[in-house]
Amino acid sequence: MGILKVALIELIRRPGRNGLIVLAIVIAVALLTSLSIVSDSANTTILEVITRTGHTLTVRPAGVSGNKGDNVSPGTVSSSDVVLGQYIPESAVPHIAKIYDEAIKTGWEKKGGLVSRPGIGEISIQPPTWAPRLYEKTDVDGIQTIVAGVDFYKEYFVRFWWDLSSGTWPEDSNRLRKAREDEAVLGGTFASVKGLTAGSSVTVKNKKFNVVGVLQETNSADDYMVFIPLGTAQKIFNKEGFVSLLSVRAMCPKCPVGDAMVELNKKVTGITSVSQLNIAEVQFEFFNMLYKFLLSIVLATLAVGFFSIFNTVTGALYSRVKEIGLLKSVGASRFQLLRLFLYQHLILGLLGGSVGFLAGVGMAYILNSLLDIGAIIRISTQYFWIALSLGVVCSLVAIFYPAYKLSRIKITETFRTQWEV
Amino acid sequence: MMGSFIEVRDLTKIYHVGEQHVEALKGINLDIEESDFAVFMGHSGSGKTTLVSVIGGLTKPTGGTVRIEGVDIWSHDDKAISKFRNKKIGFCFQSFSLLPSLDVMNNIVMPLIFANGGKKDRDKIREKAVSMLRELDMVEKVAAFPSELSGGEQRRVAIVRALMNDPDIILADEPTGELDIRTEQEVIEIFRHINEEYKKTVIVVSHTLAWIEKAKKVFVMKDGVLYENVADPVTLLMGGC
Repeated sequence: MGILKVALIELIRRPGRNGLIVLAIVIAVALLTSLSIVSDSANTTILEVITRTGHTLTVRPAGVSGNKGDNVSPGTVSSSDVVLGQYIPESAVPHIAKIYDEAIKTGWEKKGGLVSRPGIGEISIQPPTWAPRLYEKTDVDGIQTIVAGVDFYKEYFVRFWWDLSSGTWPEDSNRLRKAREDEAVLGGTFASVKGLTAGSSVTVKNKKFNVVGVLQETNSADDYMVFIPLGTAQKIFNKEGFVSLLSVRAMCPKCPVGDAMVELNKKVTGITSVSQLNIAEVQFEFFNMLYKFLLSIVLATLAVGFFSIFNTVTGALYSRVKEIGLLKSVGASRFQLLRLFLYQHLILGLLGGSVGFLAGVGMAYILNSLLDIGAIIRISTQYFWIALSLGVVCSLVAIFYPAYKLSRIKITETFRTQWEV
Repeated sequence: MMGSFIEVRDLTKIYHVGEQHVEALKGINLDIEESDFAVFMGHSGSGKTTLVSVIGGLTKPTGGTVRIEGVDIWSHDDKAISKFRNKKIGFCFQSFSLLPSLDVMNNIVMPLIFANGGKKDRDKIREKAVSMLRELDMVEKVAAFPSELSGGEQRRVAIVRALMNDPDIILADEPTGELDIRTEQEVIEIFRHINEEYKKTVIVVSHTLAWIEKAKKVFVMKDGVLYENVADPVTLLMGGC
């Protein structure tokens, strides 16, 4: 039996007090771990959305807020643009496109992007693709849902992150196949709720549509929609010549879409332009603020919690004063006693850190759900090592001073009731 | 010329309690030979426990020297004095002599953990512990915890532990305190046996007069002063000269 084994036996034989110390460490570690996981996951999700949709700009009728997805949520960054009952005339699209092009070009020139660079030459901007949408809410096979009239070719180009879970795309990227007027693509959630797959059919406004493809879920309002050709939608909803939304994907790296957004909002009346990058940046800032706020609360709580750990540890140690005297009397040196206590608290710290990590992961899922953050929770081993280190550091820091003090205590003081003067 | 096995010279100990200074030891001189059986008697507060704890390396004196085999023990640092306690002295205390969280076997081998990390000759050590427990009729209690033992049994386990490192000196503070007369006699007999059979130097602090007839030397402490070779220790203890 070595000092480590003595430490272990002592821990096992005192489950109550040691359990309290572990619990305090678990709470501290779990709080910080969950907060870090949620914050990092939210930021990663936002960054992914920025990467995915960063150069996309949407234009919708002015004075209308989105029906769904206006809440700040990284998973729905591209879905706050569903506008019903307000339209943009298709005739306005060339004017909008022109202002957009000019703003992008000016923005690039300001950045020096279009200036010839030695060895590279002039960077060209490809003409952007404008994807129009017409939204109408209607009954589709017994469910009130949003039907989106789209240009499948342009839509596929702008929403390049889309994937099909089954079937084919009505109009491929080479335009070798043209979408037929009775073809439909279903959002992932709508299809799974209705139990529909490619090859099924849906009825919209008494017109039967063949489902040629089903989208994979995108965690956006698209998941609940039925997509049909724009021309057909305009016809059956009597909205010929109108659209509800225009999306454009900028075709240059780090395109100044923010500049284009400002210019459009300034120069075109009756529309509101929104840069997805802008939304994501606002969300990013919001989550960072939320994180800092929660972190400050957690740190304040931890500071109080640390004193509670310190008190529990000190109390536990001072209740063992006589044991310490006994250990010293049988030959334990200060260093050996210190080792004994540090071993014990290393074990408690490792235990608290491990359990705290697991509790933190659980809390991260709960926090994500309760705050409706919508982040995709990602757990990496790095959190485990941080949690473990935090547990050990908390435990060792709490024990070190009282252990150091007690290891120096005079033996006769520990037997005060017995060793008389 | 070689001095005594234990040689105490001009030993003083002053306790500072607030503004007060309590002189617990007033220039004690003392010689104990190897294999002696010495008993220190005295009233509470007479200084006997302080004297023995200074000899055992537990309490640092204010002045004077304690030489054991010619070495001044209080000239050592903490590590060396811990080693000295571990190797040279086996302690027995009146109460709280065992760690409540460890069973009998682990309590007994504890001094060896601090001596060599518990790694050397593990089997031999356990054999020795079992054999000593058998000698004291305690072998069936090897896996018991202190709370499961009577006062006398606890005392016997503490004695076995004190002997585990094969120390030269056994130092016992009230080893028969709180025991009934029969168990008290048994414990005294064990100490006599240790002294005679194992040739250990036994130093006992006690109020119990039953020790007097077994001891080779009886010392009486009174107000920090040591009286040696007292013809009638009982009278001295009762207040006479």
